[in-house]
Amino acid sequence: MIALEKVNKIFRLPHDRRVTLRQRFVSLLKKNTYEELYALRNINLKVNEGEFLGIIGKNGAGKSTLLKIIAGVLEPNSGTVSVNGNIAPFLELGVGFQWELTVKDNIFFYGALLGMSRREIEQKYDWIIDYSGLERFVDAKLKNLSSGMQVRLGFSITVGVESPILLVDEVLAVGDIDFQQKCYNTFENFKKNGRTILFVSHDLNAVEKFCDRVILLENGELKFEGKSDDVLSRYKSPVNLND
Amino acid sequence: MTKSASLYTESRKKEILSGRKNYLFLTLVMAITDFKIKYDNSILGYLWSLLKPLLMFGTLYLVFSVFVRWEVENYRLYLLLGIILWNFLSEVTLNSMVLLESKASILKKIYFPRWIIVIASSLTSLLTLLLNICVFFIFFIFSSAHLQTSALFLIIYLAELYIFVVGLALLLCSLYPKFRDIHHIWEVFVQLGFWATPIIYPISIVPQKYHTLIFLNPAARIIQGCRQALIGPGKEFLGLTNHIIILAVALCLFAVGWAMFSKLSRSFAEEL
Repeated sequence: MIALEKVNKIFRLPHDRRVTLRQRFVSLLKKNTYEELYALRNINLKVNEGEFLGIIGKNGAGKSTLLKIIAGVLEPNSGTVSVNGNIAPFLELGVGFQWELTVKDNIFFYGALLGMSRREIEQKYDWIIDYSGLERFVDAKLKNLSSGMQVRLGFSITVGVESPILLVDEVLAVGDIDFQQKCYNTFENFKKNGRTILFVSHDLNAVEKFCDRVILLENGELKFEGKSDDVLSRYKSPVNLND
Repeated sequence: MTKSASLYTESRKKEILSGRKNYLFLTLVMAITDFKIKYDNSILGYLWSLLKPLLMFGTLYLVFSVFVRWEVENYRLYLLLGIILWNFLSEVTLNSMVLLESKASILKKIYFPRWIIVIASSLTSLLTLLLNICVFFIFFIFSSAHLQTSALFLIIYLAELYIFVVGLALLLCSLYPKFRDIHHIWEVFVQLGFWATPIIYPISIVPQKYHTLIFLNPAARIIQGCRQALIGPGKEFLGLTNHIIILAVALCLFAVGWAMFSKLSRSFAEEL
C-alpha cells in the first residue's frame, strides 16, 4: 500500500546555477536569485494493494515528480510518504545499462539495481532471456544490440523483478506495435495477480482500458480523482476543468 | 524543512529495513561491473593498467638511484610499495567522484542508498591494490629482502588505509554535486600529498622538526608502517601507539564523512 500525506515538492530553479567553488567565489557579491516551482502541492493519495491507478495530466503537471517521490528518488519538502513493499520503477527502461558489458552481465547488474538478490536473478535468468527473445545475443556486448533489443531487454528484466509495486512512466511510447501489445498483455497479467501499478500515460485509451481509478494532476495539484471514464471525460473537455 | 519532513525520513528508513536486503549484493555487482569495464574484462586489460604506475616507478627509480642517491636499503621495494599505496589513495578518492557523476542518470531514476556507489568504487580499487601488491611480491622475491613474521602487519595497515581512504572519499563525494571543481582541487592536493609524504625519499632526509607535521597524515604512518613490516629496518611504526593514532584519525574522518554523506546525498538526484 502507498500513502502520501500533504506532500509538497518545490523545485528551486536558480537563474544562474552555481555548481563549482569558482562560480561561487566569482559571484560572491551577486545575489543568487531563483524561481520557485511547486512541482507538487499538498498531495494526499492512497493507493491500495492490487489497484491499477492511472495518473494523467498535461506536461509539467507533476506526474513524473509524483512517481519519483514514491520511488524514493526525490525527497518531498514536506509531507509524509509511506510505501509498503519493493518498488520496480519503469521510469525509464535501461537507465543502468552498461554498454561495454554483455547481455548476461547486464541482466545481473540491472537486476541487482532493481533490488533482486543473486538467487532471484539466477532463477529468473532463463525466463528473462526467453521473454526478451535474445537467446542468441547473451554474450554480445550491449552496445552492439539494436535499440529495439535493448528496450526489450530492459523491459524483460523489470518485469522479471516481480516486485509488488510497479511505477510505469510512458515506457510504451518507445516500442513498436508488437512490443506495446506484449506490454499490455503483461500489465493484464499483473492486474490479475493483484500487483499494484501506477501508470502515467498520455495514451488515454490505454488508461481507460486498464485503470480502475484515475487521478488528474494540474500544476502540481490533484484536481480530480475517481473512476477512469469520469476523470477522463473531464480531462478531455477543458471547460469542465474549471468547475 | 518542516517537522513532517523528518517523519518522512523515518518511514523511509523503516521501509528500507523491511523491503530490501540485497544492498550487499548490489554493492558487489557494481564493484565487479566497474572492475570489468575498467580492465575490459581481460587479464591483459589489468596488465595494461600496470603500465602507468610501473612507468612512474621506473622514472622515479632512475632519477633517485642514478642521479640522486638515497641511503635506503632495498630502495626499489621501498619506492614501489610507497607508490602502490599512494596510488590506492589517489584512485579511490578521485574515482569515486567520477563514478558518482557517471551514475547520475541511475540515481535520478532508481532508489538505492547512495553510499553503495562510493563503497563499490572503493572495492574496485581495493581489488586493484591487492593485485598490485602481488606484483610487489614478485619484485620482493627477486630482491635481497627476506620475509619476516612482521609482514602480517600489512593486513592491519591495509585495513586502516581502507577506512581512512573511504572516509575521505565519502567526504569528497558528499561535497561534489555542489562544488564540481573539488575534483580538480583534490587532484592538486593529492599531488601535494605525494611530495609531502615520504614516498620517494627516506624520512631521514627531512629535518626532525618537520616530522610531526609529516606524520599528522595517517597515510604517511601507514606507508612507513608497511615498509617496516615488510622490508625494515626499524620498528617505531609497528607499535601500538602508531595504530591508535592512525585508527583515531581514520575513524574520525570516516564518521564525519559518513554523516555528511548521509545528509547531503539525499538531494543528489536533484543536484547531479
